[in-house]
Amino acid sequence: MIKIFAVLARLMDYPTAELIESRSALIDVVREETRLPVSLRDSLTAFIQQLGTGDLLDAQEDYVSLFDRGRSLSLLLFEHVHGESRDRGQAMVDLLQQYRDAGLELSVKELPDYIPLYLEYLATRSEAEAAQGLGDVHPILALLSARLQERGSNYHLLFDALLAMIGIQPNMGELRGKVATEPRDDTAAAMDKVWEEEMVAFVEDKGASCRPTQSTNQTHTLHFREN
Amino acid sequence: MSHFIDRLNFFKRTQTPFSNGHGAMTEESRDWEDGYRKRWQHDKVVRSTHGVNCTGSCSWKIYVKNGLVTWETQQTDYPRTRPDLPNHEPRGCPRGASYSWYMYSANRLKYPLMRRQLMELWRGARSKNPDPVTAWASIVENPAMAQSYKTRRGLGGFVRSSWDEVNELIAAANVYTAKQYGPDRVIGFSPIPAMSMVSYAAGSRYLSLIGGVCLSFYDWYCDLPPASPMVWGEQTDVPESADWYNSSYIIAWGSNVPQTRTPDAHFFTEVRYKGTKTVAITPDYAEVAKHADQWLNPKQGTDAALAMAFGHVILKEFHVDKPSAYFTDYVRRYTDWPNLVLLEARDDGSYQAGRFARASDFVSGLGEEQNPDWKTVAIDDATGEIISPNGSIGYRWDGRGQWNLQQKDGKTHEDVALSLSLVARHDTVVDVALPYFGGVPSDYFQGNTLKDILKYKLPARKVTLADGSEGLLVSVYDLNMANYGVGCGLGADDSAKDFNDAKAPYTPAWQEAITGVPRDKVIRIAREFADTADKTKGKSMIIVGAGMNHWYHMDMNYRGLINMLAMCGCVGQSGGGWAHYVGQEKLRPQTGWLPLAFGLDWSRPPRQMNGTSFFYNHSSQWRYEKLEIKEILSPLANKARQSGNLIDYNVRAERMGWLPSAPQLNTNPLRIAQAAKDAGMSPADYTVASLKSGKIAFAAEDPDNAQNFPRNLFVWRSNLLGSSGKGHEYLLKYLLGTKHGVQGKDLGEMGGVKPQEVKWHQDAPEGKLDLLVTLDFRMSTTCLYSDIVLPTATWYEKDDLNTSDMHPFIHPLTAAVDPSWEARSDWEIYKGIAKEFSRVCVGHLGVETDLVTLPLLHDAPAELGQAFGVKDWKKGQCDLIPGKTAPALIAVERNYPETYARFTSIGPLMEKLGNGGKGIGWNTETEIAFLGKLNHQHTSGTNEGRPCLNSAIDAAEMILSLAPETNGQVAVKAWAALSKITGIDHTHLALNKEDEKIRFRDIVAQPRKIISSPTWSGLEDEHVSYNAGYTNVHELIPWRTLTGRQQFYLDHDWMRDFGESMLVYRPPINTKTIKPMLNQKSNGNPELALNWITPHQKWGIHSTYTDNLLMLTLSRGGPIVWMSEDDAKKLGIVDNDWIDLFNANGAIAARAVVSQRVMPGMVMMYHAQERIVNVPGSAITGERGGIHNSVTRVCPKPTHMIGGYAQQAYGFNYYGTVGSNRDEFVIVRKMTNVDWLDGEGNDTIQEAVK
Repeated sequence: MIKIFAVLARLMDYPTAELIESRSALIDVVREETRLPVSLRDSLTAFIQQLGTGDLLDAQEDYVSLFDRGRSLSLLLFEHVHGESRDRGQAMVDLLQQYRDAGLELSVKELPDYIPLYLEYLATRSEAEAAQGLGDVHPILALLSARLQERGSNYHLLFDALLAMIGIQPNMGELRGKVATEPRDDTAAAMDKVWEEEMVAFVEDKGASCRPTQSTNQTHTLHFREN
Repeated sequence: MSHFIDRLNFFKRTQTPFSNGHGAMTEESRDWEDGYRKRWQHDKVVRSTHGVNCTGSCSWKIYVKNGLVTWETQQTDYPRTRPDLPNHEPRGCPRGASYSWYMYSANRLKYPLMRRQLMELWRGARSKNPDPVTAWASIVENPAMAQSYKTRRGLGGFVRSSWDEVNELIAAANVYTAKQYGPDRVIGFSPIPAMSMVSYAAGSRYLSLIGGVCLSFYDWYCDLPPASPMVWGEQTDVPESADWYNSSYIIAWGSNVPQTRTPDAHFFTEVRYKGTKTVAITPDYAEVAKHADQWLNPKQGTDAALAMAFGHVILKEFHVDKPSAYFTDYVRRYTDWPNLVLLEARDDGSYQAGRFARASDFVSGLGEEQNPDWKTVAIDDATGEIISPNGSIGYRWDGRGQWNLQQKDGKTHEDVALSLSLVARHDTVVDVALPYFGGVPSDYFQGNTLKDILKYKLPARKVTLADGSEGLLVSVYDLNMANYGVGCGLGADDSAKDFNDAKAPYTPAWQEAITGVPRDKVIRIAREFADTADKTKGKSMIIVGAGMNHWYHMDMNYRGLINMLAMCGCVGQSGGGWAHYVGQEKLRPQTGWLPLAFGLDWSRPPRQMNGTSFFYNHSSQWRYEKLEIKEILSPLANKARQSGNLIDYNVRAERMGWLPSAPQLNTNPLRIAQAAKDAGMSPADYTVASLKSGKIAFAAEDPDNAQNFPRNLFVWRSNLLGSSGKGHEYLLKYLLGTKHGVQGKDLGEMGGVKPQEVKWHQDAPEGKLDLLVTLDFRMSTTCLYSDIVLPTATWYEKDDLNTSDMHPFIHPLTAAVDPSWEARSDWEIYKGIAKEFSRVCVGHLGVETDLVTLPLLHDAPAELGQAFGVKDWKKGQCDLIPGKTAPALIAVERNYPETYARFTSIGPLMEKLGNGGKGIGWNTETEIAFLGKLNHQHTSGTNEGRPCLNSAIDAAEMILSLAPETNGQVAVKAWAALSKITGIDHTHLALNKEDEKIRFRDIVAQPRKIISSPTWSGLEDEHVSYNAGYTNVHELIPWRTLTGRQQFYLDHDWMRDFGESMLVYRPPINTKTIKPMLNQKSNGNPELALNWITPHQKWGIHSTYTDNLLMLTLSRGGPIVWMSEDDAKKLGIVDNDWIDLFNANGAIAARAVVSQRVMPGMVMMYHAQERIVNVPGSAITGERGGIHNSVTRVCPKPTHMIGGYAQQAYGFNYYGTVGSNRDEFVIVRKMTNVDWLDGEGNDTIQEAVK
């Protein structure tokens, strides 16, 4: 089990009292994860500590307004790849098959492309396989990180950690510049902006901004691309 | 993938043939096939449909792989109907085909959400109070706490909750409200049950069991055409779309068939191949215009003038000059033309038409002992005697089995033919005055000024009345001719000389000034329409769109069309008649559904309230009323009996039992029984005494008193605040107590005339609702404003039923997959709330007696209310007699702890009281016993032995088993029950289907055609398409009106005083929302007031699909408003400019679409575009630009409040005030600052108009 993936999956899920109670265990894993740079380990630790010290409702309200509304910060991978295309159904079916091939069945009512769920799956894989799995989606992770930074949310640390795990250092400066021009959708009033962005994305972009930049030959990477 | 490089252009592979050259081996890539393979791989295909407010009701195949929905395609297995008729399939449209996106969208609601402020308060209160009801009380009874979460509505801040937590909170709020204020302060709104009737029933069953109130929607949406109840006593009944194919002449009047009736439009086109002519009448060059043979474009809002001119031509040529034998016979048998009306003397020696003469007006009541006040009279043409013919409403309830349209004298049972005109047998000729409104001044609509009282020489019959006085009688035939300006040749009067007489009423020339349609076109279309009907015996049809029903004087538009059809004998004939398709109003298995939906199996009656009056009253829209009664009164009105504000009329109507009330009384109805007991009286007697003494009053008389607020509101299957909330900004301000954009001043601030019947509070309370709960599958505008949002199953995740008026099939929604995330079906959600309610009510509510006020209902004996005149008990004009001069007062037992047990089982009242509808009742013991076997019975508890209603499928089986439309043996019983009332055996209509029983699994296999039932006026058989009024004409079942016939004349006092006893043209009303704003907040650009038209749109069904990006991509995206080139030029606006639209009610920001399609004087914004999509701020309000309802406010009409008077009696979604909105104008100008209100630097400045 690759514990750090499981930790990041927990942190990326909706914050609960149980999560906060378990924070010292989470911190232990982060501290021991030598593949992460020390600075990132420190800021992740601080992130977890902060979750525990603040009002849980604040964390939850923050989470809902970030991830449960609009598309740009959706934690469903295919939202960023397929959008409203009907290919999305088939892509989910394929991913589900991948889990089954690995001997895993979904035990919660979630979609197979929910990132924390995907991370938990990767946590059960070999290091190499997990790295490959993350590599397939790294542009999405980078984009989410940039968008979260843009909104001043520390949640970007979780995505930074994932990228660091596979040794990818995206050009955050460039990405930040790119997402800085994107409208925000973290308030109810700005929901419009999310929709406007989607319109553009649907016509011209079709999730291309999330397409892997380097070509890989593994067949399962097809799930994250336009077919 | 391109194979451009892969493939060989110059070579081909060497092939080695095998099987003697029959086979060849190739090694080309076959990867391309995978796309197709994957595309059609699936684990199962499930039948479902889209439960939107769309008449399409199309069956779809939903493809499922590994528990995930992957796509949908149209079903193609509708049963064939009749030879020669084109197929129904495939049904569907691009809107439905893009639905699967919703299920997995980022916008899908995944978890129960609660506003964070409320959650903190709740958890805090809950930790201090082990009792949830006490906890809720501690929050809402603390003004600071209550305000802290109410003011946050619409501002985000949701956190996830759990089903346990939200259910407990909701149940506690409901219990508290019922205990503290009364269960009638718990309100529910959900529209259009036909589209997913079990889901509707889930909420309404829960509410009905606890004594809560369901609000009507059909009238609130202004889709209910009150003209239909007025003329026919029928809510709405229309031909199925396939019957268009049987027609020989079709006018599509204000109905954009290809755009709004997409899956049915093919019949409209196919029939043209048979030679049928189609005519489009629309104010703009709508899509239907290019599919029709001819297009007429009357100015918007003047359709009644055009209809009257058509009628003028038809009456003159086909009834007077060269009478059509078919038409004459038809109107004699099926309309009120032979009926006699008493004249009332006027001061100047002339007369005006009064009420219908009744049997009781004559000596010894013409031999009628039962209900002689309700039996209208006519003249037997053979003898000249005045008789009481069969079929009037008095016969319906006299128990003699003579309520039919056989041409017989009610007393002697002799065959008769009734006189039409009295010209040939009059005693005297009198001047009869009729009101004329065509010259009423209007800022924006050109009139044709004549005298406002027109006089006609009419033949009258002198008679001695029962009281010994002399009466003068005229026939409706003669009155109606005069009313259309057609003279009867008894001397010079105000009738027209000829069709070219532009200054005489209602001629083709007269209407030119008003509508702009050339006279020759009017004459031609009228002749073609009538000539075709004459030759084909009624196969001329008018398809009408809701737009014409959205004007304040909608009844004139609609009666204009209906009159044309009736005078040409088209109503009730295959291929003819009135085709109003608005809202999916036809819940075909209605009588099976009613007991489920309103808990009639456990307690009767349920509380039902007309939505329009509710919102007008409780969102304080009446405080801003600018329309004065005197503006809409007839010049002939008895002004002494008409005074007050519109809200006063509504309050009087409630007091007299005409309209329902909710909340009902100014006291908790659960407390009345105890008070009555203490006083030694029955609850009803106690209430009567208290109402008379003033100790108890109606809640509507003081709506701003905290005692009378609606407290809890459930919204499900609806985007109430996004799509249908007329007076949107008023709802935000007064019901929700949050940010709003109300611009106008109320009567207090303006120094206006205060109401007479309603207590005025200088400071109106804001935030009346303690709890707003919305069930939806997506984040909608209403969700954003709610305290609690519950995620529901989508249409591919639940089991339900669906029917439509457009086709005769019943088909299901079925759960292709389980609800995603934490979503639950509506049935399961309300079941969960009911369970929690039963738990938390203990200690607060037990077995209670609830006093329910019930208005005088249509299709019940109570519709025989006050036969002569209007008497108000509160003014001492009559005694308070419940069920006669006031609402019935009925004590209903509620067993609150048993709410869940009752919700989940079918109660014993079905065996005890039977089932039925529309005035017909039958025994249903067999079906209940059967359901006990089919659904199984509860084996323990208080509902032991009762049939189960655990699942939505159980509920569906209850509907299907109890309804005549889906259970042949019930159909036979229903027809037999009706036969007893009419004295004619109708059972032959269903006997051949007696053994046919449609169950849920049957319709899952294939859509099924329904069985003919007396609930409806058309037949479903092998010979005719469904057509409304068919059984009235062919089975001689009377229309459910005063006369039993189709009525051209409506004689109620209020109809006469408000000038609409007969059809007239009236210009739109002045809503007075322009003057206070015009050029008052100038941005330097020119401003112009334009008529505000909100038709149904092309890119969505109401707001459900408009935020779907596939759909937005087809349109421009974001809000758009269409305007004419001429108006755009005046305002310096070019296509795609951002524009401000505003009036005293609110403001909208949108982009202009400048198009030749639109005529000058109007702007069009498609109905219900979502507020959340691409909207910048409005310069007027400083808030985000509103939705189309932001500039509307409800303005009810007194004639819609009439009750207890035959067809003009209340029924849920049948009659009542409607939310008209098309008379509204908006000021339009180019926007200067396009401000997105986000501080993101994307704002732009538009150049000023030069």
